This record gives sequence, C-alpha cells and structure tokens, in this order.
Amino acid sequence: MTTAEIVRPPAAPAGTTRRIPAGIRLTWLHLRSRRVPAGVLGLAVCGGVLRVALHWHWAFNSGPYAQQLPMIIEAGAAAVIVVAAHSLFGETERSAGRWLPYLRLFAAAGMCGLAIALLQLGAAGEGLNEGVLVLSRNVIGITGIGLLCSLVTGGLLAWTLPMGYLVFCQYALLQAWTAPWTWPVRPPADRGAWICACAVFTAGLLLFTIRGPRTFLSDPS
Amino acid sequence: MTAAGISLRPGPATARRMARVAAAGRLLRLELKRNAVPYVLPLLAAAFYFDTVRTADGFPPVWTLRASVIGDHMLFEFSAFAAGLAAWAGSRERRRKTLDMAATTPRAAWARLSVTLAGTLCWLLLALLAGVAVLYIQTALQATWGGPPLWPVFVGAAGVTAVTMIGFTCGVVFPGRFTAPLVAIGVLVLYQTGLRQALGVTSSSGTYALLSPANAPPSVDAGVYYHLAPDVPITQVMFMGGIAIALLGVLGLVAALRQPASAGGLRSLRAALARSDGWLLRGVAVILVACGVAASWTAFALAGTAKPDATGGWQIPALHSAASDHPMPVTQDCTSSGFGVCVHPAFSFYLHDLAAALDPVAAEIAGLPGAPTRAEEVASVSGGQDVQSGISGNPPVFEFTAERVGSMFGQFYGIPDPVGWREGFQQGLLDAFLTGRPPHAGTVPIQLGAAQQAVEDALLTTAGTNLSATIGTMLQNGQPVAGPPAAVSAAHRFATLSAGARHAWLAAHLAALRTGKITLAQIP
Repeated sequence: MTTAEIVRPPAAPAGTTRRIPAGIRLTWLHLRSRRVPAGVLGLAVCGGVLRVALHWHWAFNSGPYAQQLPMIIEAGAAAVIVVAAHSLFGETERSAGRWLPYLRLFAAAGMCGLAIALLQLGAAGEGLNEGVLVLSRNVIGITGIGLLCSLVTGGLLAWTLPMGYLVFCQYALLQAWTAPWTWPVRPPADRGAWICACAVFTAGLLLFTIRGPRTFLSDPS
Repeated sequence: MTAAGISLRPGPATARRMARVAAAGRLLRLELKRNAVPYVLPLLAAAFYFDTVRTADGFPPVWTLRASVIGDHMLFEFSAFAAGLAAWAGSRERRRKTLDMAATTPRAAWARLSVTLAGTLCWLLLALLAGVAVLYIQTALQATWGGPPLWPVFVGAAGVTAVTMIGFTCGVVFPGRFTAPLVAIGVLVLYQTGLRQALGVTSSSGTYALLSPANAPPSVDAGVYYHLAPDVPITQVMFMGGIAIALLGVLGLVAALRQPASAGGLRSLRAALARSDGWLLRGVAVILVACGVAASWTAFALAGTAKPDATGGWQIPALHSAASDHPMPVTQDCTSSGFGVCVHPAFSFYLHDLAAALDPVAAEIAGLPGAPTRAEEVASVSGGQDVQSGISGNPPVFEFTAERVGSMFGQFYGIPDPVGWREGFQQGLLDAFLTGRPPHAGTVPIQLGAAQQAVEDALLTTAGTNLSATIGTMLQNGQPVAGPPAAVSAAHRFATLSAGARHAWLAAHLAALRTGKITLAQIP
C-alpha cells in the first residue's frame, strides 16, 4: 500500500456521480428537513377521508350542518401544512444562508396549493357542499391562522389556533353568522370573506417568511 | 430510644409502600406542572364560551335541555384539543429522544406513560368539570324547577377520557409531528359522523348510532313530566369507558411490542410475550384489553336492542327500569286572576307572558259553547307521539304543550319575537276553539277552513293583535300564503261588528262554523 492510495478519496458509489443542481438539492433538503414528503402523505390522507366522507354520506347534504365535516378536513389539511413549518435545526439554520426565507415561502405556499388540489381531487365526482371555492378559501384562511400561530407557539403546536378557529366556526355555522371573518360560513363568491381569508393568509405567509416559526432551545433536534 | 418511638416507626414494607406512593405523587405533580394543556386552556375557554355557553344561553333554563350542550357542543371542542394534546404528550419521549434514557429507569414503561397520561387527563377533566360548573351554576340561578342531571356529565367525562386515551396511544405508537393534528381531526370526523348517524336514527334503520354522545337537543320538556331513562347514557359510558380501558391495556403492551416490531416477525412477538420479566404487567395489560373490548362490545350489542319509549326517548330493555315511565308528581303554577293559565313549574317564567297573551282572546270568546275556562300545559309526548293542542273536558280546558301550540312549534324554546310568540298562542287557542278539536296525538296540526280563518283573524284583530299585514293569510303546507280577497273582506267585516253582535253571531253559528258549513259570504 502506498501513501497515494491512502490519501486518495474513496470512489463514489455507483449512481451518485450525477451532479444535482445545488438549488434543487437545497430545496429538497429543506423540504425533507420539514418532513414535507410525510406532510404530502398527510394531505393525501385528508383528501381520501374527504372522498370517503362524501361518498358514504357521513356529511349532511344541505343545511347548517353540511359544511361542518368538509371544514374539519380542510382545517386538518391546514394543520398539516403549518406543522410542516417546524425546523429541525432551529436557530443555527438562520445563519446558514440567504435562501431560507424564500424556501419557507415556497414550501408553505406550495403545500397550500397542493392541499387544495388534493382535497379537490378527493371531492371530485362527489357533491361537495359549496364547492371548490369555499374549500380553497377555508384552506387558505386557516393556513394563514396557523402560520401566524407558528410565530408564537413554534411549528409543532401551530395546529392549536386553527383548531380553536374551527370550533368557533362550528358555532358560527349553526348560528348563521354573517361576519366576513367567519369565512367558512359565507357563500362561495362573498367578497368580504375572500378578502379576510386572503388577508390573514398574506399576513401569515409574509411574517412566516420573514421571521420563521418560533424556535425554542428545547426543540427536538 | 423509647418503646413508643419504636412502635410508631413504620415497618420496612410500609415504608417502601409509602415511598412508592410519595414518588408517584411527586411524578404526577411534576407532570401537572410541565403539561401542555394549561397553555391551551385560554383557547379552550374562549371556544367554550362562544360555542357552549352561548348555545346554552339560547335555551330556556330547563336542566335537561341546558345539560344537553355537554355532549352536543362541549365534547366537540374538548375532543379537538384533548386528542391533539394527548398525542403531543404521548409522543414526548420520542420527540425529546429520551426513550433510551427513560428505559433505564427502574419503573416499567407502562408506569412512566401512565403518569404522563394521568397528568394530561387530570387537566382535561378538571377543565371539563370547571366548564360544567359554569354551565350548571348559570342554570341554577335561572331555573325554576328541577336539579342538575348527572348522566350528561358522566358521558362527557367518559368521552374526554376515551378521546384522551385515543390521542395518547396514537402519540405513543406513532410518534411524529403530524400525529397530534391528524388525531385531533380524526376524532372530530368521528364525532361529526356519529352526530350525522344519530340524527337519523330510527328503530328500523338500526340503533347503534345511539352510542354517539352527540345528538339533537331533546324536546324542551324532556325530563320535566317523566324521568329521563338513563339507559342510553349507561351504554355510552360503557362503550367509551371500554375503549379507554382497552387502550390503557394496549399502552402496557406497547413497550413489549416495540421490540418485535424492530426485530420483525411473529416469532419475535411470541418471544416478547413469553419473556419472564414483567409477565405480571403484560398479563394485567392483556386482561385490561379483554375487559375493555368486552365492555365496548356489550354496550354496542345493547345499543342495538334500543327501542322508542312512550316519553319520546329510547329505552334499552336489559337496562330499563319501569319506574322511569311513570309521570312525576308535580303541582302546576297557575295564574290567580282572569283567564286561568297553568304551566309546569319548570316553565313558570313564561306564566305571565302567556296569561297576557291568552287573556284578551279568551275574553272575546268567553261564555260561548265550548269556550275554554282555562289553559293548561301538558306533556308534549304521549305514547311515543307528539301531542297537538286542543280543547277538552267539562268545563272545557285548552291543553297545549311546550313543543306545539296550534300550528306553531317550539314555543317554549324562548321568545325571540314577542309579537309572533304572543300571536302563536292566541292562534292556537282560537284554532282549537273554532274547530272544536280535542288534544290529540299525531303529527297533523289543526287546519282551518276559509270561514274559520276569517273569523279567527277578526277575533285576533279585536283582541289587539295587529294583523294588518297578515290578515286573510292562510297556511298551506306550513307556509303562509295570501288568502282569497273574499276571506280578507269577510275578516274585515266581522272585525268591525260590535262585540255584542260578534258574540251573538258566534253563539248562533258556532256549531255550523266548526263543521265547515259556513261560507265566507255568510259571515256578517
């Protein structure tokens, strides 16, 4: 054995020599660190549950109760999105590069779009009460609430505020509230409800992009 | 050292037992201090206020009705947080990566997990009981009869316990960041599905949905005239308690099942179960699982045998006590002057409004054949069927129920519109008087002919009810529709007669009017 053999780096295993663009690799690592693949699976489960619920008539067809079950599942999808905001690396990740805010932005917005698509896919061919517009508005708005919550509680407990809002909206549905900030209650084309939901989402997404979810020293690594 | 000192000192076995209890107490205290539930309590309190308290405020202060919000609303909001937070607590060891470190402690994993579970459950049950206390104190300050029903509280506590166990077990078995929200959502979906099934339950479609703690609010006088049979709550508690006990046993087996899961194969599972260490704990766990499954299965089977009872509820023959079918003895609250009005003491807060509504109309028809001398509230369900209002007896008495008066229903749920409420009772009294129909069981309300409707409108107008917008209207399929112009004209004509002329005409033509032989043109 010569010295050159020792110093020479070992040959790369077959199949790993192909160069992956750094941007894609960074994005993939970011998504994996947030457990986004598992989150997508969770969103698919939500879509599947919605389909089963509609197909087997677990939900009411009309009346104040009709929106309850779809809203619960939409809130579930939003909760999955915001829980995926949690970072394994916490504070140390913030000093690692300038791309983190953009990655956060695209991850959250992308998952939100994917959630709407998967839920709509689940409801395709079934009679979803109030249609895809209310579904989208609920996912967007409740995700915004969750992203705002993640600034205070951190990503792992960011599902609590969406749950609180969900419970409140159950009451608002039964009492036929008309306030625009109770957007799940409003009809699909209601402008005030859309403005409220989008405003909450925009505020949540912006602050989440800039600040990121709160991190704690005790966060799991 | 004195002999007295020696005799007072605990023996080694007692000392060990005391030390063990003290250690468990310290662990529980630590768990209560570090649990996540207190941080979510403000959010839970806000949800409780908006959903449960405000819904209960919309009901009249009748104990059974107010207590129904525990299963219908309170359990919903508690389920959302209980399942999620229990899953959060259950996945803590894996989340903190302290599984190996905690495994070296001299206590079984089951005991360790039980302390965490107990801390979470204590907080949640404490919050539930605090909410119930708020609800019941508020009702006690307003209610005029009865006392707090306990079965809804037991059902609520069993529901929170079962949901917490489900969440905690999922957290232990599937520790991950998505477990908590997904379990919370799953529990809510189950709750809503149960509600959907419970609302449509009939004896012909199967009665298993009665196991759902969520259901429609009971009738306003449920538990007022008859005792509420505890059959269904007993099966619900048994079902949910069985689930909780079985899952507690599963928690005991989780530690043993984790190792074969990593090794793989049924052989490893058998090896884990056959290990000599901790066999007592595993045996107890298996017994708990068996007992829990048996309890839940028994409750499921019992729910399948439910059948409607005579008071509008459900009875389960194996659990039913015939004593609950007997009416409760009670002295009604009555007005002392004018047209006598009597209601159950549970509704005595409506008595003066009711007397003020019925007095003027009763004065218009006083002395006519079949005119009631007083009005009396009766039970809204008889023989399993809704009771419609009517006039019967000698002297005649107008009998109405808290649920139905004439073509109106839900009159005793509150007075959101005082004018409409008053008009509903007046119409109910005149409907019964002008048709001469006695109170009857069934779903068909009293329908008036055109001449009867015109006379009723005229009498209501003269009694002071402003019918300018609705005079001449008739009900078709429960919807008000404009009556024919001839009816409007006849009503106006009759209303403009003097009181004496109206009275004389009614005395002469009442029998014909009741049988439908009077036409609109014959009304003076």
